[in-house]
Amino acid sequence: MDYYLQQLVIGLSLGMVYALVAIGFTLIFGVLNVVNFAHGEVYTIGAYAGLFVVAAWAPPLAALLLAVLAVGALTGVGLERLAFRPFRRFTDEASLKSRAMREATLMSSLALSIIAREAIELIYGSQFQTVPLKLLLNEPIRLGPVTIVNGDVIIFVTALAMLLALQFVLTRTRVGLSIRAVSNNALGARYVGVDVDRTIAWTFVVGSAMGAVAGILVGLYYGAIFPSMGFNPGVKAFVAMVMGGLSSIPGAVICALIIGVAEALSTIFVASVWQELVAYAFLIVTLIFFPRGIFGGARERV
Amino acid sequence: MTALLSIEGVTRRFGGLTAIDDVTASLRHHELVGLIGPNGAGKTTLFNLISGFTPLSAGAIYFKGRRIDRLKPFDIAHLGVGRTFQNLRIFPNMSVFDNVSVGAIGAQGVGVVSTLLRRRGPAEAISEQTWAALRAVGLEAQATELAANLSYGRRKYLEIARALALDPELLILDEPAAGLNDTETQGLADFIRRLHKGGLSILLVEHDMKLVMSICQRVVVLASGRKIADAPPAVVKADPAVLEAYLGVET
Repeated sequence: MDYYLQQLVIGLSLGMVYALVAIGFTLIFGVLNVVNFAHGEVYTIGAYAGLFVVAAWAPPLAALLLAVLAVGALTGVGLERLAFRPFRRFTDEASLKSRAMREATLMSSLALSIIAREAIELIYGSQFQTVPLKLLLNEPIRLGPVTIVNGDVIIFVTALAMLLALQFVLTRTRVGLSIRAVSNNALGARYVGVDVDRTIAWTFVVGSAMGAVAGILVGLYYGAIFPSMGFNPGVKAFVAMVMGGLSSIPGAVICALIIGVAEALSTIFVASVWQELVAYAFLIVTLIFFPRGIFGGARERV
Repeated sequence: MTALLSIEGVTRRFGGLTAIDDVTASLRHHELVGLIGPNGAGKTTLFNLISGFTPLSAGAIYFKGRRIDRLKPFDIAHLGVGRTFQNLRIFPNMSVFDNVSVGAIGAQGVGVVSTLLRRRGPAEAISEQTWAALRAVGLEAQATELAANLSYGRRKYLEIARALALDPELLILDEPAAGLNDTETQGLADFIRRLHKGGLSILLVEHDMKLVMSICQRVVVLASGRKIADAPPAVVKADPAVLEAYLGVET
């Protein structure tokens, strides 16, 4: 029983990481109707940027997270400039929804993700980068019969704080209102004075900042940072987005938590090497039985 | 009185098709002008040119003496041109209040930093402007409802409220009566008249001839991309060129 509880806690913190990554996918899908294939690399860049900051200044955790947040935001701006904006020369409705534009940005974001991954490998090498022991988030915490590590708590609390901050931004600020307006109807938003291009850039800023923080949190949790570390969480987050109905943030967060918990609990029944299959199983089930996503029935959006 | 909006020699070609052919027209401050024409005459194209949706092939458009035909749609909106759409473009999954707020913030642009730094002041201004627009169309009771849950007729008013929240000087309405029954159209006519009395300049594109003839001070008629008439309703009704364009003429 204790083991179950312990796995549940691990699953929740894992799920929160997926949720942070899934939000980036979901927000960007909301405004542009495209999948950003470079999102996993934003997560990796967050981890490496954190490593760099730690090596240079060794700041306290909160300052480190803020620095990574900023790096993530800048990465988002750059990503949008390089891989998305050049393909958005025409902004009428037909062009925004055209397959040509979608496919072009799929390829350009994929290309940029490969370039980023290879560049990291050139600079740091392909081996695992180890995190200084004293920064590792694996101090045990005993809660009655259950033992978890402080990393579980830190990840959960940080992610929750970011989700609440996101909620605030989306409902209370002009940028958030603009992001929701563009997701709802880009053309309508333009004509009531919303700068759609700038709003799209802001969407990348918000989504990438959250993805980058997820990267450094996991890096400090497992103590392993490597060039292709963004792939797996990227896939899980993608599945969460699809399960959640493509552009529903609450849906994506709930599904990310479901995936995280299911993965952690799956080790009770099967060897942990099978753990990675859980998300794929969810994806297949979703696509067969809920083609619009579990929460997509009402076509709810951001 | 100078013209608020003036369209000078505007031409728009799509490949070999000339959708708008050398049209010159203007709208004075506080004027209510109707734009009519048979299907395919180029009404919506002209609308899209004014609001910055498509570039001109030739000519120029001025708003308050400023050339606007190379500006982006949101810049034109900021200058004080609000518009609605023939097929509604509301934000279905946002509340009625938030829909209109987007118009109100549109008047001030997007900026997270400015939002964070001086949130109080503008936030109150935005909320005031939003409520004022909701009151103007009588939607304040439904402010918290999801826009998607409004009836079709109410959604039309929601879109007008969103445009009003921009605090425009010129409101352009693209077929507001489409899909409304007679009673609703009558209500809409009264509403547009009230807006006009309140000091707004309005350009109205409409199929419903009765509506246009009853409320507009002046009517511009387009046919095959050309302006064929520009006169008060009574004169236009009797214009042989207009009758020919609408009814065809035996050859």
